[in-house]
Amino acid sequence: MKNRLRDLRAAKGWSQGDLADALGVSRQSINALETGKFDPSLPLAFRIARLFSKRIEDIFDDGLGAMKRAAE
Amino acid sequence: MTPHAELPVPEVTYKGANRRYRRIFIPVMTFYVVFCFVGPLLMMLYEGAPPIWLMATVGVISGVPIAVVFWLIGRYLRETDEFTRQIQLDALLPAAGITLSLAVIWGFLELYLVVPRAKIFSPMIMVGPAFFFFYSMTFTAQRILRGESLKDVPHIGTRER
Repeated sequence: MKNRLRDLRAAKGWSQGDLADALGVSRQSINALETGKFDPSLPLAFRIARLFSKRIEDIFDDGLGAMKRAAE
Repeated sequence: MTPHAELPVPEVTYKGANRRYRRIFIPVMTFYVVFCFVGPLLMMLYEGAPPIWLMATVGVISGVPIAVVFWLIGRYLRETDEFTRQIQLDALLPAAGITLSLAVIWGFLELYLVVPRAKIFSPMIMVGPAFFFFYSMTFTAQRILRGESLKDVPHIGTRER
């Protein structure tokens, strides 16, 4: 699943380690999320969204959201 | 500003789970290694055959640390983050399957007298070490098959800087 995690983290000036500590996960988890190798569970997706004060669909894109917007 | 101030950190984190794992694993494994030598020495104190109660006690105490490590792995998997849990389970489950399959095959070979019944050093003692050996193999194989780094991996009990 595509996501904007790397951009959002960079905009805040945080390292992967900073973000990992804030979410209580490993730094490797953040790397796997940012590279799209791992999709978060719903609770983790909510924690990420709340951390950046955004909605889940503003950060994660399963492809259907973009298709829906294009259709509109 | 770091993100810490903006979100409450979960009760048990990846780092917390690793810390809690190490806190028990290190003393338990130290005890295991020491007792593997102390146990036989205790039995050698007796002239002739040691009493059965002593042999049974030494036998059980020698194996308990391995059981504690399995419990620790289970607790770690519950407490750590979901990505670490997934990649560890991907390695642990095939390792358990391989170890148990080989143990069953060995058992049938013993039953049909293809292999001799070990009298000095039971193969059953090797089941625990074999599991951890196959775990290291399946873990490495998973990373290679996925084309991922062997270095940048969250290991059980690791001390991340």
